[in-house]
Amino acid sequence: MPLKNRKKRLDPSPVDRPRKTKFQADLAPAEDRTVRLLKQELQLSSNTDFLSDALALFRWAVSERKLGHRIVSESASGERKVLVFPRLERVAPDLVLPRAEIQWTERELESLAKLASAAEADPPTDALIRALRD
Amino acid sequence: MAILIRRLEELDQVENFDCGDEPLNNYLRRHAWSNQEKSSIGVSYVAVDEGAPRTVLGYFTLAMSSVPRAAFPKKYVRGLPAYELPLILLARLAVDRRFVGRGLGHALISEAFRISLRAADEVGCRCIITDAYRERISWYARYGFVPIEGAAGSGPQRMFLDLRTMRVALRH
Repeated sequence: MPLKNRKKRLDPSPVDRPRKTKFQADLAPAEDRTVRLLKQELQLSSNTDFLSDALALFRWAVSERKLGHRIVSESASGERKVLVFPRLERVAPDLVLPRAEIQWTERELESLAKLASAAEADPPTDALIRALRD
Repeated sequence: MAILIRRLEELDQVENFDCGDEPLNNYLRRHAWSNQEKSSIGVSYVAVDEGAPRTVLGYFTLAMSSVPRAAFPKKYVRGLPAYELPLILLARLAVDRRFVGRGLGHALISEAFRISLRAADEVGCRCIITDAYRERISWYARYGFVPIEGAAGSGPQRMFLDLRTMRVALRH
């Protein structure tokens, strides 16, 4: 009895055990050839490893694009190509503006600091209200 | 004329754009697309007529920037957050002179404000900055831009609009 009890404790219940999902895909002959070639190039022996690595790469691409980062390849000569992949564009934020450097004089920085640190902002002008209402 | 404002696209016709200012024309014709898509240093938005949706009638360019806290003179940093000051740069705004007087400038800056508010919601931003030609200062002032004193030389006037002011305007 005690042995049986111990065995029961060590064996996780079906609820605790991580479930493995089977993944089956119908590939066109050309896609199948691509998968085989990629597996060979990447020295991957199983479809599971292939899928696992592809998933890691896709997950990284999605997370980068979600942050608004562009995915770029750069050649040895510095030529850059931006990856534009429609499905990835769906996860990109609606609006990400690129960054620019602005040159400031010492006096401009003083003036900017005063304006930005004001306890209250100026009230909006009629034109600004109209601009945001139109 | 039904005006649509959207992101600049590669096939947009920009060669005939003429706002009367060569640097602004040249930027749209030569640099706006590559700066947007290749270098990612500014996004341009164009106004087009729905009837001729490839002909650019006006445009503006936006970019994000920031000022490191350490760059501010020490006696002025009190009251500023303990981080870089994030801001949006309204880098360019121009209307083709054949379409001046039809409210395109107002439509463009209105869209620039709306985009800035959305950007500020997504990534945080404190103000909009623009470098206005001297003869256009009063036009920007109408929207609440105030001059930032201390520009070197007699070039464009740097101007400031607080995002808090824009948020108040939204509630009206």
